[in-house]
Amino acid sequence: MAKLKCAWFDFACCEGCQVELTNYGEPFVQLLEHLEPVEFREVMSEKTTGPIDVAFIEGSFTREADRRRLEEIRARAKVVVAYGSCATSGGINALKNHMDDYAGEVYGADKDRPHLNSAKALPVSAAIKVDYEVRGCPMDRDELLRIVQQVVHGTAKVYVPSYPVCVECKRRETVCRYDDGEYCLGPIARAGCGAPCPADGIPCEACRGLAEQPNQEAMVKVLVDNGKLPQQRAENLSRMFTANFRGDA
Amino acid sequence: MSCKNSKEKTDPGIFMPKAAEVVNAQMVTPTEKHFTLRLNNGDMFDYQPGQIIEAGRFGFGEIPLGLSSSPVNAKTFDIVVRNIGKVSQALCELNTGDTMTVRGPFGNGFPVDELKGKDILIIAGGIGLCPVRSMIQYILQHRGEFGRFTLFFGARTPQDLLFEEDLEQWRASTDVHYFETVDRPDKAWQGNVGVITTLFPQAAGIGPDTHVIICGPPVMYKFVIAELDKLKVPRGHVFVDLERRMKCGVGKCGHCQINDKYVCLDGPVFRFSDIENLEEAI
Amino acid sequence: MTQQFLRDDDLMPFVEGLMNRYPVIAPVAKRTRFVFEKLIAADDLRLDYDTTVLPPKKVFFPSRQDLIHFDQQGFSACIEPQAQVLMGVHPHDIKGIAMSDRFYSDRHFDNNYMAYRQVTYIIGSSVQQHYKYAFFGSINADKPLSGHDLFMTKIDGGYVIEVVSDKGAELLACGSFSEASPAQIAEAEAVNAAAMENCPQKLNGGSAEIREKVRAAYESPLWDEMSEDCFSCGSCNIVCPTCYCFDVQDEWNVDGASGCRFRLWDACLTSEFSEVTGPGGTENFRDKRAERYRHRYMRKAAYLNDQLGGPACTGCGRCSGACTADIANPVNVINKVLEQ
Repeated sequence: MAKLKCAWFDFACCEGCQVELTNYGEPFVQLLEHLEPVEFREVMSEKTTGPIDVAFIEGSFTREADRRRLEEIRARAKVVVAYGSCATSGGINALKNHMDDYAGEVYGADKDRPHLNSAKALPVSAAIKVDYEVRGCPMDRDELLRIVQQVVHGTAKVYVPSYPVCVECKRRETVCRYDDGEYCLGPIARAGCGAPCPADGIPCEACRGLAEQPNQEAMVKVLVDNGKLPQQRAENLSRMFTANFRGDA
Repeated sequence: MSCKNSKEKTDPGIFMPKAAEVVNAQMVTPTEKHFTLRLNNGDMFDYQPGQIIEAGRFGFGEIPLGLSSSPVNAKTFDIVVRNIGKVSQALCELNTGDTMTVRGPFGNGFPVDELKGKDILIIAGGIGLCPVRSMIQYILQHRGEFGRFTLFFGARTPQDLLFEEDLEQWRASTDVHYFETVDRPDKAWQGNVGVITTLFPQAAGIGPDTHVIICGPPVMYKFVIAELDKLKVPRGHVFVDLERRMKCGVGKCGHCQINDKYVCLDGPVFRFSDIENLEEAI
Repeated sequence: MTQQFLRDDDLMPFVEGLMNRYPVIAPVAKRTRFVFEKLIAADDLRLDYDTTVLPPKKVFFPSRQDLIHFDQQGFSACIEPQAQVLMGVHPHDIKGIAMSDRFYSDRHFDNNYMAYRQVTYIIGSSVQQHYKYAFFGSINADKPLSGHDLFMTKIDGGYVIEVVSDKGAELLACGSFSEASPAQIAEAEAVNAAAMENCPQKLNGGSAEIREKVRAAYESPLWDEMSEDCFSCGSCNIVCPTCYCFDVQDEWNVDGASGCRFRLWDACLTSEFSEVTGPGGTENFRDKRAERYRHRYMRKAAYLNDQLGGPACTGCGRCSGACTADIANPVNVINKVLEQ
C-alpha cells in the first residue's frame, strides 16, 4: 500500500498539538511507515500545493481570510482531521466571542494594529466539512493515532466516549482530587483522554468539552461546597473550553 | 476451586469467535447487505429460529444480529447487516470469499414446539423482517405442522422491501396469507399504503386462538398490540423479538438489561405477557 | 481446619517469604487513600488500611483486559494466568469476590476472569480501621465467608491465622507459625465480631425486606429527587465490588496489521451505556438520569438479590465515598425507601 501523503496546517493556535505529536516518540516513528509528511511546520520547511491524502488542521477559524485557505486545503485533501480544542470547538480563543473589548484587554495600546484584527473564533467545521475531530488541549495523541489507523483501514466512524472523565480516573485508580481537598471539573468533562491530568495532580479543565448530559448545576454546588471555590468562579470555571457551546455564554 | 483444574488451561474464553466464510453477499436495499455464511472448519451451525449471533470483524468489533435463515439447512446461515455504525460498516465492506467472525448462537429463539399446530400471524416492520425470516422459512418448510399462517410486512418505502425474491414467492404462495404495506409509496407502487396496522382489516381469521410474532421498530409495538387486544388475542400468545446493543451475548456485559432481564439470555424473543410491565422493554 | 499464630515480628518475614515465591498484591498507601497493588517492598503493606479506591476484583479482571489478539494470520486467546497472592482482603470484600465469582461463572463460564481467579491465593484480613462510609455489619452480615484460603485477624502481639483451604495450608511454608491458643482464637473472634458491630453506618432492614420494598418503590418519586445532583459519571459503578458490566472494543497496533480486542469496565450510570443505534439515529432505553440511578439500586437490591439470596452489596461504602455529589450512599437511599 502506498504511503498516505499527510500535511499539517495551523490556524489560530499555539501549535502545541504539533509539538505534542512530535514528542510522541516511537509510535509516531512507526507511523511514518504508513504515512509521508509533505508539510509540517514544526518539523520541516517543505511546503505542498499538490493533492494530499490526509490534512491535519490545528487552530480555530477566526478570520474571514482563513476561509479561503481552509477551502483550498479541503479541495485537495481526501480526508480532513481537525485536531485539538481550537480546531474542534474554537478552544480557549472562543472566550473572546463573549467579551466586548478583548483586544484592549489582551493587547493594550497595540490593539488597533491590523494583524490583530479578527472575528469570532470558530471550529474548523464552521468553514469546511471535517471528517474526523480529535478533541483536547492538547489533543490526545493516542486518539489521533487510533483515527489515523482507522483512516488507513478506510473506516468512516471511530468510537470516542461521551461519558465524564470520572470513569477514566476511577478505572486507573486515581485518588479523587476531592478526596485530596482540591477541585476538578471531571464530573462534567468529556472523557477519552484517559484522565492524565488528575493522575498528575492537575485539575481537569474539561478541555474536550462537556460530557453527554452534563449536570452543570450540581457541578457548581460541588465546586463551592467541596472545592471551596467562590460562587462566581465556580459558575465560570467550565467556560474555558466550552464558550461556543453554551446557552449561558 | 483449585488451581489444578485444567479448565482454565484449555478454555479460550467466551469471546473466542469462529471464523466464517462469506459464501454470498448482496446489497438488498441501499443500506442493508444480506450475507450467507459457512463456518471455516466445516462444522454445522446449530441454532433455533430467532436466536442471535455476535458477528464481527477484527479491528472493528462485533455486533449482535438475529439469524435470518431457517436452521433446516444449517451448513450455511444468513444474516442481514444494516450499515449504520462503525462495525456494521466494516462488515458491509466484506464480499464473497472474505471472512468474518461469529460467536453464538445465543439466547432463546421462537418457541417452535409451542407454536406447532397453531394459527400463526407474523408482523414484521422494516429490518425486523430479518430475524423473523428464520421462523417464516421454518414454517414454510414444515407447513403441515402449523395452522393458518398470515404474514404482515411493512416498510418505509418500496426501496426498503428486503428479500425481494422471498416476497415474490410469498405473494404467489397459497401457504401463507401475505400482506404488505409501505408508508411512503413511489410512482410505481400499486400496493397498500399506510402504517402496518392498516393491514389488520384486510386479514381474516385473527382471534383468540392466533399466536403472534412481532419484530420491528420500538414505536410499532404499541400500535400493533392495541390492534391485537381488539381482536382478543391473549397477550400470552404474543411473542416479541427485542434488540439491544449486547457486547458479550452471554449475560455478563450488562448492556442488554431490561429491568431484571437480559435480552441475550432471557430473549431476544419474549412472551409479551412476561415483559409488558417492564418499563424499559419497549 | 487449623488456627495458627503469627507473631508481629514474624509478619514481615512471612510477607517476604510469599514475595519470594509469588507476586503479592496487597493494600498500600496512595496519597490520602489506599490501593491494592503489587508489593515492591514487604513493609509497604498496610494491613491497617480502611478501604481501597478500587475493590480487589481488579486482580482477576483489570479495568482493561485483553481478550483476543489478532493479526493477518489469525487470532488467539490471551488468557495467561500465573499464580499470585492477594493479601489483606477484608471480610466484606471476600464476599464481594464470591459474588463476582458467581456472576462470571453462572450459566456461561467466563474464563477471562475465572482463570485468573482460580490461580490466586486469597489471604483475608480483619478490619483494623473502618472506612467512614462502611456498613458491612448490617448487610449480608450472616453470609459465611467463602473462596479465600487464609484469614488473618490482628490481636494483641500478632495475628491469628485461620487456615481455610488446602491452598492456604501450602502458604504456611512461607513463614513461621505456632498453633494458636484457645484464648487467642477467642480474642480473634471477638475482634471480628466487634468490627461488624462498630460499622459507622447501618441499614435498617434485612435482605428480604430490602428486596420487596425497593422493588415496590419502582414508581416512587424518590429516584427523581435523589438523583437531581447525579453527574451520570459512573464513579459508583466503577468502584463497586459487585458491578461487573463492561464494554468491548477493538484496537489496531501501530503496524496497522495486528491488534487486540479488549474489554473495559463500564458504568450503567453513564448515558451512553443504554444506547442502541437504530435507523433513526441513537435511541436510549434509560435516557433520564433518574432511570439510570434507579436501575443501579433495583439491580443491587432487588434483581440480583433474587439470584444471590441477598443484596448484591458488601457494605464497603466505596460508592458513597466516590460520589462527589454525595447522593450515592446506599444507606441513605435504602433507609429512605424502607421508611416508605
